[in-house]
Amino acid sequence: MISFLARSIVQKLVTLFFVSIVSFAVVHMAPGEPSQVDPMNPKFTPEVVERFRKAFHLDEPLHVQYLLFYGDLLRGKTVSWKDNQPVLAKIWERFLNSLPLFLVGSLLTWTISFPLGVQAAVKRGSLLDKTTTFTAYFFISIPGFFFAYLLIVGVVEVLRVPVVGMETFGLSQAPLTHRVMDRIWHLVIPSILGATVGVAELSRYVRSQMLEVESQDYIRTARAKGLPQDMVHYKHALRNALLPFVTMFGLMIPGLIGGSVIIESIFSWPGMGRMAYEAIMARDYPVILTLNFLSAVLVLVGTLVSDILYMLVDPRIRL
Amino acid sequence: MLLRKILLGAPVLVLGLLIQSVLWVPTYEEQTRGNPRRLVQFVTGSLGDASLLNPILAADSASSELAGLIFEGLVDRDEELRFRGRLAERWEIEEEASFLIHRPPKGCEGMSMEDLFQWLQEKLGSWPQVKRVEISPGEERRETVEVSEAGTRRKVGVRISIPPKVKVLLREVDQDFFQKLEGLLGDGYFSSFAPEVHCEFSEKLDPATQKRLAGELISATEHHPIITFHLRKGIMFHDGSPVTSKDVLFTYNAIMDPANLSPRMPDFEPVLRIETPDDLTVRVVYKRLYSPALGTWSMGILPQHLLNEEALAREAAQRGLDPKTFSIRQSGFNRRPVGCGPFKFHEWKSDQYVILKRFDNYWEGPPNYEEYAFRIIPDLLTQEMEFYAGTIDSYAVQPHQVERLKGDPRYQAFSGLSFGYTYIGYNMRREPFRDSRVRKALGMAIDVEKILKYVLHGQGERITGPFPKQTDYYDHTIEPIPYDPRGALKLLEEAGWKRDSLGKLVKNGQQMRFTLITNSGNDIRKAILAIAQDSWRQLGIDVRTDTVEWAVFINERINKRDFDAVVLGWSMGIDPDLYQIWHSSQTGPNQLNFVGFQDPSADELIVRIRQEYDHEKQVDLCRRLHRIIAREQPYTFLYVSKWTAVLDRRIVIMERDANGNPVYRRITPTKTGNYAFHFNRWIKLPHVPVFSE
Repeated sequence: MISFLARSIVQKLVTLFFVSIVSFAVVHMAPGEPSQVDPMNPKFTPEVVERFRKAFHLDEPLHVQYLLFYGDLLRGKTVSWKDNQPVLAKIWERFLNSLPLFLVGSLLTWTISFPLGVQAAVKRGSLLDKTTTFTAYFFISIPGFFFAYLLIVGVVEVLRVPVVGMETFGLSQAPLTHRVMDRIWHLVIPSILGATVGVAELSRYVRSQMLEVESQDYIRTARAKGLPQDMVHYKHALRNALLPFVTMFGLMIPGLIGGSVIIESIFSWPGMGRMAYEAIMARDYPVILTLNFLSAVLVLVGTLVSDILYMLVDPRIRL
Repeated sequence: MLLRKILLGAPVLVLGLLIQSVLWVPTYEEQTRGNPRRLVQFVTGSLGDASLLNPILAADSASSELAGLIFEGLVDRDEELRFRGRLAERWEIEEEASFLIHRPPKGCEGMSMEDLFQWLQEKLGSWPQVKRVEISPGEERRETVEVSEAGTRRKVGVRISIPPKVKVLLREVDQDFFQKLEGLLGDGYFSSFAPEVHCEFSEKLDPATQKRLAGELISATEHHPIITFHLRKGIMFHDGSPVTSKDVLFTYNAIMDPANLSPRMPDFEPVLRIETPDDLTVRVVYKRLYSPALGTWSMGILPQHLLNEEALAREAAQRGLDPKTFSIRQSGFNRRPVGCGPFKFHEWKSDQYVILKRFDNYWEGPPNYEEYAFRIIPDLLTQEMEFYAGTIDSYAVQPHQVERLKGDPRYQAFSGLSFGYTYIGYNMRREPFRDSRVRKALGMAIDVEKILKYVLHGQGERITGPFPKQTDYYDHTIEPIPYDPRGALKLLEEAGWKRDSLGKLVKNGQQMRFTLITNSGNDIRKAILAIAQDSWRQLGIDVRTDTVEWAVFINERINKRDFDAVVLGWSMGIDPDLYQIWHSSQTGPNQLNFVGFQDPSADELIVRIRQEYDHEKQVDLCRRLHRIIAREQPYTFLYVSKWTAVLDRRIVIMERDANGNPVYRRITPTKTGNYAFHFNRWIKLPHVPVFSE
């Protein structure tokens, strides 16, 4: 176990090193310059541009830039080129904004997918099964932004309540309960939107996993013993069907830093996805690279966690 | 079965809990109609967040817009785009012209120095434009200069013997002063000055280098325009400290400090020095003639006491940062600025909103609105929804959205010409674009009226030259090139391009063939690309088109001059200085005259426009330049687009009459199309008022 952990961590550090090189190279190879050194602004003379390049170390050779950047990052000293704010503080602030969206979205996804998937599998071929299949593919296929607009227009027209932003603008004087509920309401629509695709996909997995388990010999045995149907489905079948999903918890970790650009833009949500998008558009290298690095770290941590979880829930697996 | 119950119960519970929250949220009606606070609050929607709320650092439009409300400059432009005093109550522009007496003037040979000075004093003193004449005797100066020869740099000492210098203070700037003076001193008096004669280098250099270095060290004539600003008394920053000439000087120093990386540096590079004789007087002396100078002082003034070295050192110490590298760019001031404009900073939540409050001690009287809220809503459709609901008062409305709102009695719509234009530029280094007849013919083949009608939905106007259409510099008598494909063919035939039996346009057996490119992501430019291609194909030209991603487009195509023809646009300021875009010295790689336009008479006009301080004369020069460019057709000037804006009809201008009673006026755009010019007088009423007029 210990040796597995040690080996795994060393491997992951090596991977991380290569990721850092590749992402650094990709960002610098991408065409375009940071907006501060935009050559098409008649206000910027070549001297000003040159001064910016020097201040950003863009005049150094790439490997020196690489060392300077990751040196700063590891010491937590990187600052955004756009507004000179420390990058880590910026990311933390956005992370806290994106977190509720992620939590509520995941909560909805997981709580809805399981009953749906299990029921669809238990009543295989029934009307419910067919309807869920159809709706699932419908939601997987519909473009997210289009569905978002439909939802917003619908809610605004019917209920006449605001939906965009993290809270109703100008509500700072209201009592605390109102403010809390207002916050929750603003979470609902974007989370539902974020959860639809998740539910559609995850309920399909659950269904097929259940079906696979249900066709196993031990289920037939359980039925033959004369156990009640619910007992067979929920105790014997579901428990075993759950196994692969436990590992998915681990793989959810990188989602923490993802955030959806489209949902966050349409709903004016000041989250991570939007920050990343804007940083890319402005070629704000420190922000892009830090986010990239952090998400690489999270992906690697996620796989590690999922390996360990798998080992814990499935005694057949020894690492 | 418990598990089953949990499994089914959980989603119902979660959804129920979440959805009940809607009952607690105020509806739009509660927020807008029933809320008296909403009437004294102006909320605007923006696609992007601000980055640095500091006028000397702001480079994006959101930051500049907010900085414009928080900070105030010395001057700005009035309804007619003339300069008007803000922090400066008034100003004078004069000139100190100086020249060297390197040899006796005509008719004064053999005169003693004293007599010569006497003679000059008398002669020049009688000129009406001359205020004062000062003469200083010759002197000697030692300096070291850097010489780079064959790749190596070294320092060389030099002894300069400067001849006696005459300083003439002129009542107004006159770029032709020295030409006039040559009438007195003898023709060619200044051009015959040989700087290398007055310089003695400590080691031997080749004559050309000597001449060049000497020319940099000493020159026969110098123009030093001087602007003297007189500041208004009693103006305060938002924190209550007075605005003085020290703050103006500080702002200038902050811009010029390389550590701050201010993008406004080039505007102030021509400043030689700034003097502050007292708290309310600022004297700006310039190195050379630079007529855009006055306009640069619309730059917002920073409070010296919050950003000077001690303040920065204190902040750096507090935040545990290295004071050596800590500059204004790093300061927290940029996120909670203090200025002296009509609104003071209140709160900023990144990517959510920025809130400004009215500054009650604003020198021109406080604005009517108590609060200015800048909401960041990065999606156009969401902005429109919020606008309909009444939670934002203005947003970046699109032409097709204006169409939807036009008939609605709840709203008032505005539109006007923007500062800028769209054009097709031709790479004049390449065939067939060297010939102006070809360029003109290509322009004649395109039906711009159709582009305006179908591509821009009428939201544009034709333009014939490089100046903004709403300024005086634009010559409205110049006719746009007519749409005339036959005429185009005739013109091409004059240039040697004939149609062969297959309808191909041929010269010396070669068909005319080129590629028209533009950047991707701009649908209007893409449409123009297709229209131009089709029009030109009908003449028998083999036109290919291509759209290229912006960064590649600029770096690989435009900057490396690797293009035939290009659809692009310029956005411009009011000042008529066109040096960077049209002067022949700006045709090198990465420079902005990428079409390679070179015309000696245009060059001369461009330089003279830059140096002319008199508005009427400048207008005259600009119109001549406009005519040359319209004749040469380095670009096919297509159109200037219109901006659009929509407001609630209940927003009006409120002023007080002599008895202090409110008088309401409808919001009308100024002559130049600025509808928000009287923003400080705007207010929102509970009902649409009935206007008396």
